[in-house]
Amino acid sequence: MEWDVVLESFPLIWKGAGKTVGLFAWSLAVGTVLGLAVALMKLSSAKPLSWFATGFSWLFRGIPLLILLFYAFFALPEVGWLLSPFWAAVLGLSLWTAAYQAEAIRSGIIAVDQGQTEASDALGMTRSHSMRRIIIPQSIRIMVPPFTSNATTLLKQTSLATLVTVPEMTLLTQRIFSNNFKFIEPIFVLAMIYLAMTTVLIIGQLIVERTFRLRT
Amino acid sequence: MSSDALVTVSGLHKSFGDVEVLRGIDFEVARGEVVAIIGPSGSGKTTMLRCVNLLERPSAGRIEVDGRVLCEENADGSMRFSDKAEIRAIREHVGMVFQRFNLFPHFTAVENVIEAPMAVRGLSRKDAKARALELLDSVGLAHKADSYPLQLSGGQQQRVAIARALAMDPAFMLFDEVTSAVDPELAGEILLVMKRLAQEGMTMLVVTHEMGFAAEVADRVLFIDHGLIVEEGPAKEVLGKPKHQRTRSFLRAVLERAPMAEEEIDDDEL
Repeated sequence: MEWDVVLESFPLIWKGAGKTVGLFAWSLAVGTVLGLAVALMKLSSAKPLSWFATGFSWLFRGIPLLILLFYAFFALPEVGWLLSPFWAAVLGLSLWTAAYQAEAIRSGIIAVDQGQTEASDALGMTRSHSMRRIIIPQSIRIMVPPFTSNATTLLKQTSLATLVTVPEMTLLTQRIFSNNFKFIEPIFVLAMIYLAMTTVLIIGQLIVERTFRLRT
Repeated sequence: MSSDALVTVSGLHKSFGDVEVLRGIDFEVARGEVVAIIGPSGSGKTTMLRCVNLLERPSAGRIEVDGRVLCEENADGSMRFSDKAEIRAIREHVGMVFQRFNLFPHFTAVENVIEAPMAVRGLSRKDAKARALELLDSVGLAHKADSYPLQLSGGQQQRVAIARALAMDPAFMLFDEVTSAVDPELAGEILLVMKRLAQEGMTMLVVTHEMGFAAEVADRVLFIDHGLIVEEGPAKEVLGKPKHQRTRSFLRAVLERAPMAEEEIDDDEL
């Protein structure tokens, strides 16, 4: 490996870091809000809501992410909905990650002891109040590991946005090696940047877990 | 039907799938009365208690609490339940204490006590907290107000749970085997709090295995077995001079830790 090529490649690739982080942050935010809604719908006693949520999970967990991105970028313009490459990628990534986050959130909620709901009910609290104040805060502790695992996967999967022409890190890396035919160094730099980013997420997980640990 | 009945239950049935747990229960609790419910494991006593605030939905029967009907049967035999808001309004006035405490583990003791008064009754944090500290003091736990549930012993957690229920100023209280999950030497501190509540005139419905408590504190005892009330009456009579063979067998099993006679169980099932 030639270290001067590594040093040359780094700034060129790093220019795409903003796009990578942007794709990740938007998709995680939208996907989590949507995932929470889907999780609550799936747990709802109203049948149409739980059916919708079950269908949502089934659909977006069952289709390859790349195909969702193709739909958002190539197919939607055909029906008159033209999105920029960046927002098309955010749309596909959001729907895809929402389906997984919904399962992480739902598993956290159902893992909270049934006695907590009963105690809330017996005190006359509304269901939405007990969800917000009693159940969800306790479920966060449980859902943090699968949630972070999904987030880490999402961060890495933003690299697929390359294929719908978003100039994020992976696309910029390909540009380098299609210019100078050096593969080892640019790919090494790219891998190290992804690794650094996912490391930050995993450290974040430890901090959140510590914050929500039950005091004994 | 006496006019001062606070709780009136009639024709109560409850099935879980094919299993009929309650098979027609009728009883009343008068204002200020302490009623103990005793019976073997699986007899339906906990289910019966949980029906009173609709934590379990009866399959049939009528329940009235403080003049409000929680559920009753329509003419065609189907069940009609009060709407959600009405059920919440009734539950506000029915305190419940659980076998496994069910404190909110992410809240301190005082936060556990103030949550419902603030959320349900709209008390300010300041007022709720002042009242909560009084209540924690009354159960001997003022010094543990800022502790988290998992930092407390079982006996202390259960006393916080009682304070939490009392913070809603309930008209009456349900106790579901509240000493069963704590070490035997800690049961006394819970029973002491309950005894004092009874003396202060609180109406209480108590599912318990503590025969000493039932004998000393309860006005009336219901013995329930296989989903039916087998015997009921003043505590002295039911516990001292039980009329039914099943009651005698049960009391012997509890007091002498002897197994219940098998042939009697068989007889009952025939």
